[in-house]
Amino acid sequence: MALIRKIISQSTVDGPGNRTAIFLQGCNIRCAYCHNPETQAMHDAEAKEMSVADVLAEVRKGIPFIRGITVSGGECMLQADFVTALFQAVKKLAQETGHPLTCLIDSNGTVPFYRYPELMAHCDGVMLDIKAWDSEVYHSLTAATSNETVKENFVWLLQNRKLTEVRIVCVPERVDVETILQNIAKTFDFIGEKVPVRLLRFRPHGVIGELANHPMPTDEQMAAYLSLAQALGVTAEER
Amino acid sequence: MADIYSIVTSQQLSYEQKVVALAHAAEDTLSVIPMPERTRYYFEKGAICNLNEGNAPYRPRYIMPDYEKAVRQGVKFLELDPPQDFDELLTFLQVLYRHVPSITTYPVFLGDLDKLIEPFITDLSDDEVKRKLRNFFIYLDRTITDSFCHANLGPEATRAGRLILDVDRELEQAVPNLTLKYDPSVTPDDFAEQAIYTSLCVANPAICNDVLNARTYDRYGISSCYNILPIAGGSYTLTRLVLPRLAALTESKEEFLTKLLPEAMQCMADYMSARIRFIVEKSGFFESHFLATEGFVERDRFVAMFGLVGLAEAANKFAPEGKKYGSDKEADEVAEQIMDAITAFVNAYECPYCEIAHHRLLLHAQVGIDTDYGITSGIRIPVGDEPESIYDHLRHSSRFHRYIPTGCSDILPFDITGKKNPAAVLDIIKGAFSLGQKYIAFYASDSDLVRITGYLVKRSEIEKWNSGKAVLQNTTQLGAPTYASAHLANRKVRGV
Repeated sequence: MALIRKIISQSTVDGPGNRTAIFLQGCNIRCAYCHNPETQAMHDAEAKEMSVADVLAEVRKGIPFIRGITVSGGECMLQADFVTALFQAVKKLAQETGHPLTCLIDSNGTVPFYRYPELMAHCDGVMLDIKAWDSEVYHSLTAATSNETVKENFVWLLQNRKLTEVRIVCVPERVDVETILQNIAKTFDFIGEKVPVRLLRFRPHGVIGELANHPMPTDEQMAAYLSLAQALGVTAEER
Repeated sequence: MADIYSIVTSQQLSYEQKVVALAHAAEDTLSVIPMPERTRYYFEKGAICNLNEGNAPYRPRYIMPDYEKAVRQGVKFLELDPPQDFDELLTFLQVLYRHVPSITTYPVFLGDLDKLIEPFITDLSDDEVKRKLRNFFIYLDRTITDSFCHANLGPEATRAGRLILDVDRELEQAVPNLTLKYDPSVTPDDFAEQAIYTSLCVANPAICNDVLNARTYDRYGISSCYNILPIAGGSYTLTRLVLPRLAALTESKEEFLTKLLPEAMQCMADYMSARIRFIVEKSGFFESHFLATEGFVERDRFVAMFGLVGLAEAANKFAPEGKKYGSDKEADEVAEQIMDAITAFVNAYECPYCEIAHHRLLLHAQVGIDTDYGITSGIRIPVGDEPESIYDHLRHSSRFHRYIPTGCSDILPFDITGKKNPAAVLDIIKGAFSLGQKYIAFYASDSDLVRITGYLVKRSEIEKWNSGKAVLQNTTQLGAPTYASAHLANRKVRGV
């Protein structure tokens, strides 16, 4: 069983193509810019206990219109055993129906993926948030003290070809976007693997707490990030 | 005669629109098609409708010339040699289009435009091709002032196809209406996604299930709204059965299915046969028109479209109280009974001169006309009754599309975020097509161009017409009342 916040049967913003997106309740890092803070608490009256079979029934409704599923949160890796069982079931469903389905994870990278070999065997890719490169910056944005695990995950996923994309939320004055891009580019070169980078423009809509009235990045700032990425040989796209 | 006077003195009709309206009025002074008493009865009740096709047809309603053949061999009657370069090709087509008759007096089919153009652009840069295409498209939009006019693309990706999509997006015009023939095993995703992106910007092109529609004839094209017809042929006529008006004649489902429907269908089929005979045997079209005499159309490649409209309202009437077509099993089952009865009739009825259709009338989900109040297009789900889930909507239409060989479609407005992920829309289309959906059109909820029932109209032009001003496009005049009466602004917008 898992605590599910909501299921969106037709999502176009949670990975490539049309997907069923499953949002698990509960997060461990409480980002200052979180735009769905209602998913943070580990327990919430609005969330629903669901079994793998319950979720699978929702996924089945999307066939043949979806390319796959994305498990997001909260932080879905806090319920990694459930995600493993779900992915196994979805792959079996794909086989039974003859309709291929990919299984993606949207994660903050605070749980080491290498510890879940069975999950990774059924997972087609991870969309990883790199919220900051500098540990101090990371700490200032989240409840976590260190981002070492995130960086280790980044390298491990890249080496094991399980990284779908990297996401950076661009918050003016608060996120070291340039440093992240430079270090990502270095890692890409070092490992000899590349994935697209998605630059998400911070929007205060729905945000509570200290960033609720923080300005969005300007078009010029976003364009500057994109051209830096290009100069570094990183494929970046804004959303 | 009062009608003719009002045509002559109208300030809301353009000169060309007056000429066409006067020709119609003249044709309608004849009565050469027999109208037996029961047929007349169903016409008077509005249950059978000939869509103002005229009382003495002197050309087939829809003509699908074999443009590739014309380009290969030239056209003697028009003193046109086969074109040798891109400029010559565009002039050739402009002249030829001008001489293709139809019910609207404008060509309803412009050919597989990408395939026609592709061999002529190898030595030209993208910019040169686009500049010439822009002028060509402007010419078409301003002279073919009726958006029941269709050019086809695909299923193969071509450079010409990509450039046509680029130009279409930049110009944002109602003409030509475009359809991409889509086959997942032939059409690459990136080309399909470019088409979808274009459609989310300018409501054009629509996407046609090539795998299913290609089985209808040896060579097919999409014309007018979304009519699936043989190339080098066409359709003699389109008459329609207005199911809700027929259903209004009884309170009994039994009587409707076993008495009214068979009798009305017999009347309509005989009436269509008489029209076909008049065109073939009396009008002289096939003996004298250059398209026929030079072999760009062949008489035995014409079909006749047996239209139907308002399946939803008829099914709802005879379904248990409160059950609705599109969301309730009981109403859908009634709809299936109606469709089965219609199918059985057309499969048994032999009509003249329809060799390519094995002498059968072919069903068509007619889109409706401006005076249809409370009647939903063809087999569509009424606006306001759409299922909550787009997947259920598409599953439903797939179930009913299987009955219709000569054209049926669904139109979905998408949330504007779809523009950022055309791949997601393509996934939905792939799914729908794999289930049997035959044709799908969509537009973004903020687009000026909207699909009314199949044809394109600009919302800004509707406003102009509604304020009493003359407009260039005939279809704006049809679209303006339909947009309001069919509540199209309330179509369920699908978020992506």
